[in-house]
Amino acid sequence: MLSEKALAERFGEVVLPHLGDALALARWLTGNAADAEDVVQEACVKAHAGIAGYAGGNARAWLLTIVRNTAYTWMSRNRPRGMLTVGDLGDLDEIAAAHGTSLPGEDGPEASLIARADTAALEAAIAALPHPFRETLVLRDINGLSYREIAAMLSVPMGTVMSRLARARGLLVSELGRTP
Amino acid sequence: MTNHDDGLPNDPEGIRLMIHALVDGELDAAAVLAVERRIAADPQLAAEHARIVALQAAVSRLPRPDVSDAFQARIAAIGMAATAQQAQDEPVQDEAAEPQQGTPSAQPGLIALIGGGQRRNAETRLSQTRVLPRARRFGSFDWRAMAASIMISAVLASGATQWLMVNSASDGFAAAVASGHRRSLLAASPIDVVSSDRHTVKPWLDARVGVSPPAPDLAQDGYALIGGRVEVIADRPVPALVYRHREHLITLVAEPQQGGGTTAPDDLSSGGFSLVHWSDGAFSYWAISDMERPELDDFVARFRKAV
Repeated sequence: MLSEKALAERFGEVVLPHLGDALALARWLTGNAADAEDVVQEACVKAHAGIAGYAGGNARAWLLTIVRNTAYTWMSRNRPRGMLTVGDLGDLDEIAAAHGTSLPGEDGPEASLIARADTAALEAAIAALPHPFRETLVLRDINGLSYREIAAMLSVPMGTVMSRLARARGLLVSELGRTP
Repeated sequence: MTNHDDGLPNDPEGIRLMIHALVDGELDAAAVLAVERRIAADPQLAAEHARIVALQAAVSRLPRPDVSDAFQARIAAIGMAATAQQAQDEPVQDEAAEPQQGTPSAQPGLIALIGGGQRRNAETRLSQTRVLPRARRFGSFDWRAMAASIMISAVLASGATQWLMVNSASDGFAAAVASGHRRSLLAASPIDVVSSDRHTVKPWLDARVGVSPPAPDLAQDGYALIGGRVEVIADRPVPALVYRHREHLITLVAEPQQGGGTTAPDDLSSGGFSLVHWSDGAFSYWAISDMERPELDDFVARFRKAV
């Protein structure tokens, strides 16, 4: 067993440096910053309790896994309606595939148009993404996790991560291409 | 152009995924080369690639939530004190620490993993609160190792230089403060808790030594708080703050006083280090640095003003 001091130090090394990422993920999962703080605080209590089980590896990914799971239990407690359950995610992939989120490459908007997209429009577009796509996009492009880490966190094959990410980006691109 | 022999998928969806993987840095060198060739040969793929790059850049520019000082301190407190402090200050956390029974859990594995530890932790926390929390804090402290290292460096210091000063009641203490500072300069890191945020440093010290001196941020005056550490002096752990002034480090040891009086800053400099001692009734301070005396005096004046 590690001493209490060693565990406290490990908490400081593993958890504290990644609070910004934790808040960013929680903010995109819950939809607002105030709830994100509640979720992250609760996640950190769990992380502290489970710190002895942290077995090395990417500390950020470890913490974000706890944040994500805490966000879902938090939302199921605080927002009984309007929440997707995790079991639905597979269906959603199919639904999304069916209503054609794969853009045919030829008529996508100019990259320069996307580059000029304003913050509010982009945030609104991300918020409007179906949940599993939003989550995958945030983990990759905001939290900077690798495909493998995301696949492990979501317990899905890497191919699913790749297709969700491609669809999420496809949806954002078409949304931003539409805004003048 | 239709028949590629580069090992990449040939369906449009497959090659699109490869472009995403390229942008995400997920491909090995051979695959990078192959995908880049495809992009170079196909304007549509090039346009798609440019869109993904532009989108990723735009997303990465989005403002990120601030980690406020108050929030950072709240989380740091979770890690530091599984003791009374948390129970008093953070009733919300105790609520959150309740095992979440009755909540349909989407992730039974994780909850099971940490649930047990959580409960155990809560019990430990309760027992710690009951049994002399302060004594318990000291218990987590590795005395012998720290005391031994102090003794070794004190012997080295006294042997190598004329460091020790004679005829002053505080000699022993001053020497220990000095050797602690020197040891810190030799160590891999001069600080045990690295933070410019006093809301992090103070609870860290409080959790370890049960007291925490005022830690004003003097960055605007040119003295940035960069962290803290615990010194063991005369067999007692005392909190030390570390400030940086340009390339110099200042160690400020704050020994708690029991109803002591106040004393004006007193110069105890020797052996190439500047050392200033003063008391404010609550703490007895020792500021030591390799800065020149006037600069250290300036720091002391600003610190005393800020406290």
